[in-house]
Formats: sequence, structure tokens, C-alpha cells
Amino acid sequence: MSTVQWLLMLHVTGAFFLVSGSVAAGVLNVLAARAERPSETALLLSLIRIAVIAIGIGAAGTLIFGIWLWHEQGYGIGTFWIWASLVLWVIANALGGIGGKHQERTRKLAEQLAAAGDTKSDELRALLRDPRGNALSWLAGAATLAILVLMIWKPS
Amino acid sequence: MIAYSRPFWPLFLHVLGAMVLVGAVLVAVIVSWVGWRRPAVPALARTAFWSLVAVGIPAYVVFRVAAQIIYNDEKDAFGGSDPTWIGIGYGVSEPGLLVLLATIGFAYWWKKSGKPVAPRIVAGLSSLYLVLLGIAWLAMSGKWG
Repeated sequence: MSTVQWLLMLHVTGAFFLVSGSVAAGVLNVLAARAERPSETALLLSLIRIAVIAIGIGAAGTLIFGIWLWHEQGYGIGTFWIWASLVLWVIANALGGIGGKHQERTRKLAEQLAAAGDTKSDELRALLRDPRGNALSWLAGAATLAILVLMIWKPS
Repeated sequence: MIAYSRPFWPLFLHVLGAMVLVGAVLVAVIVSWVGWRRPAVPALARTAFWSLVAVGIPAYVVFRVAAQIIYNDEKDAFGGSDPTWIGIGYGVSEPGLLVLLATIGFAYWWKKSGKPVAPRIVAGLSSLYLVLLGIAWLAMSGKWG
């Protein structure tokens, strides 16, 4: 295998970790919101931390091997789709980080309720349905999807 | 505008479908390994089942149909002898469907029965499938052979 083939394989592997981890976090978040008891909500939200590890490895891998490929394949310094992808990468990470804090706050409240009778409160329902907190995570996912579009489309 | 040798949509849907499928299987792996020690928690069994049925199966269909469209367009370029990476892709996707369906069946049994052996079988099958999908993505992205 050539250097470019190795780098492409590692870059795509990073993208698999990033997108698959984001999908896993999204599925766990949706099913945590639908759980009947706070103990179940807390358990499913706590498992998102495993998906976040995959997202972190993927985010680092796509960036490192992507920049290396940029140099190795000889794309110009002003290549639009690469710069657009880098901007979206920063946006996705920032939004995902803020959305993650919202989920962490929700998980802590769910754990408190689980220890005190395991019944949902209005505050927990409000946090689980909070459009702003959820929108941040979905927008992070949308930015990640847009990076995938740019990587395959490669508009000049 | 499109500086790429392949049509956009089939390749995009193939890659996206594969990544979403891996995400759905990853959820099943995570919850079933946790369920190994806590088999009676209904939320874990429900999560494994619905992740595979509502996310994994549609993603499989999208990635597999798009793969076939790409292959039909490009198979002549291989001169009747498919490269190794295509063989690995087919070798994982077709038997892999049986593994996926078996995993869904055992996840359903776990959801209905709560028996301790069910999450262990789901953990084994889903982990095996995740490893197979990993080999396929490495082979296809690295163009092995």
C-alpha cells in the first residue's frame, strides 16, 4: 500500500469513529428521553460517555490524517472544500461539547431522582424535552454530515 | 463543479449507510455488554432491539443498495476479476446480514424474557458483527489487493 492509501484508510477510519459515535450518542439520547424511569434515563445517558470516546478518537483522526493527506495529495492551500470542512469540524465539536453539558446536567438530575423514589419530575421532563439543549446536539450532527458531503463531493 | 470520478449520491449513501449501521451496532454492543451484568434492566434490552431494527436495518438497506449501484457501474473496469477489497466487502455484507438478523432475534428474546443468557448472546454476535464491519471498512478504504 502507498502512503496515500494508508493515510486515506486511517482518515476514513477516523470518519467512521466520528460519525458512528455521533449516531450511537444520538440513539442513546433519544431512547433515554423515552425511558419510563429516571434510573433508566440516567443509565442510558451515562453510556453516551463510551460513544464520546469514539467521537474524540474520530475527531482527532480525521483532523490529523486529513491534514496529512492534504499535504500528501498536493491540494492547494486555498482549496475551498477543505477549509469549509475545517470550519464545520470546529463548529461540530463546539456544538457537541455544549450539547454534551446539557445531557450531563440531565443525567445528574435523573440520578438524583432515581435515588429518591425513581419517579420522573416536571424538571426532568423539561430538561429531556428542552429544544435548545437538544438542538445543539442535532446541529453538531448536521455539521458532521455536511463535512461528509464535502469530503465526497469535493466542490471546487 | 464535481471534481470526483464517481457520481455523488451512490457513494455518499453507501458511506453514510455504512457509518450509521456501525453506529447502530455500536449501541447494541455497548448496552449488551452492560446488560451482561444487568440482564433484567428493560431499557437496555429495548435499546439494543430498537437501535438495530429502527436504525441498523434501514442503514443496511441504504448502504447495500448504493454499493450495488456503484458496482454495476464500475464492474467492467475490473476486467472480470474483482479486486480483494470488493471480495471482502461482499464477504462481510451478505453473511453479515444473517448475523445482524440473528442479533435482532436474540435482542427481541432479551426484551421479552429478560433471561441472563440473552444479553450475552447479543454481546457476542454484535461484537462479532462490529469487528467484521471494521475489517470491511479498512479493506474498502485502503483498497486492499
